[in-house]
Amino acid sequence: MSGGIAVGTGVVKDDGILVRVRGLERIYKVGDEEVHALRGIDLDIHRGEMIAIMGPSGSGKSTLMHIVGCLDSPTAGILEIDGEDVSRLGEVRLASIRNRRIGFVFQSFNLLPRLTILENVALPLMYAGVPLKARRARAKELLESVGLGDRLSHNPNQLSGGQRQRAAIARALANDPAILLADEPTGALDSLTGQAILDSVKVINARGTTVILVTHDPDVAASCHRAVRLKDGLLEGAA
Amino acid sequence: MMLLENMRSAAQSFGGNKLRTLLSITGIVIGVASVVAITALGQSASANIKNRIAQAGLQTIFVTAGRHSGAEVERLFKDDLTGELREIDGIRDALAYDQRSFQMRAGQNDASDSVATASPAFTDIFSLSMTEGRFISAADMSDRSPVAVLGSELATSLFPDGDALGSTIRLLGEAPQILRVVGILTQRSSSMGVSFDSTLFVPRTTYLARIARSTRVGSFVLYADASRDVVETAKRVETFFTARTGSSTAVRVMSPSTIADTMSGVTETLSAFLTGIAAVSLLVGGIGIMNIMLVSVTERTKEIGVRKALGATPAAIRSQFLVEAVALTATGGALGVGLGLGVSRIVTLALGWGFAVSLGAITLALGVAAATGVFFGLYPASRAARLDPVIALAYE
Repeated sequence: MSGGIAVGTGVVKDDGILVRVRGLERIYKVGDEEVHALRGIDLDIHRGEMIAIMGPSGSGKSTLMHIVGCLDSPTAGILEIDGEDVSRLGEVRLASIRNRRIGFVFQSFNLLPRLTILENVALPLMYAGVPLKARRARAKELLESVGLGDRLSHNPNQLSGGQRQRAAIARALANDPAILLADEPTGALDSLTGQAILDSVKVINARGTTVILVTHDPDVAASCHRAVRLKDGLLEGAA
Repeated sequence: MMLLENMRSAAQSFGGNKLRTLLSITGIVIGVASVVAITALGQSASANIKNRIAQAGLQTIFVTAGRHSGAEVERLFKDDLTGELREIDGIRDALAYDQRSFQMRAGQNDASDSVATASPAFTDIFSLSMTEGRFISAADMSDRSPVAVLGSELATSLFPDGDALGSTIRLLGEAPQILRVVGILTQRSSSMGVSFDSTLFVPRTTYLARIARSTRVGSFVLYADASRDVVETAKRVETFFTARTGSSTAVRVMSPSTIADTMSGVTETLSAFLTGIAAVSLLVGGIGIMNIMLVSVTERTKEIGVRKALGATPAAIRSQFLVEAVALTATGGALGVGLGLGVSRIVTLALGWGFAVSLGAITLALGVAAATGVFFGLYPASRAARLDPVIALAYE
């Protein structure tokens, strides 16, 4: 990773901030009505941090996750990742950032059902332009590291929920992203399996990957370094 | 880079829904099969027609006077013109020819058929062969012998007992003749209005001396050099007569080669027309592909969302669906080529034609099928590429 060095006021500083959010707003048009999903969010996420974003449904936490994950762009405000303002980038650049800097883990795993888990894990590598052989080798290595080395040619529906989520985590880590963005990763799992998944996320974080966890489960949030809470499109506790 | 993956992804997507895939490419299969079958049958028909006409003698050229021929033609159409006709470039031989209808009798059997003039050269010109006896000889010519050679049908109707050879035939009418049968021809298809099977041939000299009512020649039979373009030779013959009569319509020059050319021109035009119609069904097939691709994009919205989240650019998504569409139409095209060839093979077998396959038409049909995939796949693929990742991911 580059050092996140920003030259602003003539003073060189490395503030250790990986994600900087300033005055972030997102307005949807639903028919003639405007829905203010985010009303001005300021948030700094530090390199190596494991942060929980909490809030009831409709609070805007999904919208925030989508924007931080570069799946969506803000209506107003700034999002910087690693010192680069990404809030006004075009589709192709955003796709590249998602591909290389962000790994997604979803509540419902979102593995492609017709592909084997090896092919699933290799997908981000394909979009990164990695040659086939290297892709397969890397995908195999990743699946071995999550304990699925003996199930490479299985289809997702041949695996248990916990195994699927582990495969999804392997896929998220394929391009060695700076940020792991997990949306209710334990939501579809029983508590024991959920705990195991959470533990492996912690291990990933301990190895240096910044983790952003979207959850409404206080126990999950408690295992993070800190938690922020959204309500009605604003961060609670913020003015 | 991703072509291989895209093709595998396409195969996986089709394999998951075999019946639907098959139904969606039916239009393409039928369209391509029609184009291939029509061109193959057109070519076979054309080759078959040429073959038939060739049997009639591609080297012969017939010259007859037109209906309103003037005095110039009357003067020109004499036996000694053959000498001049032989001088025309590409002509090997020229013969004067007449034929007239006669009432004829052999024993108790009557027939009303043509009497035609012949010379020994006829056997070569029309590739005649004999069942019995011989054809008209040079001696017959110089002696003006009262001999006759019978076509196979005429021999049967005049001599049902098969005792024609050596028997006599009486020509009835204003100049009655008695002719001795010296030969019977093998059955043969007719050529340029000469139905050999129902004609009685006499030496031309005999005809002129005993039967003819005037010295005006009915028509000329020219024998063209096969190593030259016969159609061109026929044109030179036409030019010769136009120059001599001062009119391009006074004389008609016909040759099986010219007719073969015209006929295959007609067949080609017809099959081009039918191919055009078949191509319309390719268009309809393409719309079917577009429909199924739109359904596929909708069904796989979630997948598209996931792929985008993993870093797929719009171009990557577009090429994935384009490859699918082209794979569909190319598969349909390949099946269509097989079907079209199979059908046309069966038809040619049933009709007893030779089988001619046009590689060009097959390549074209496959190319058009693939192009149909690109054309009709582009819109669904672009729609997939333009999907908003957030909305696509939320799709259930």
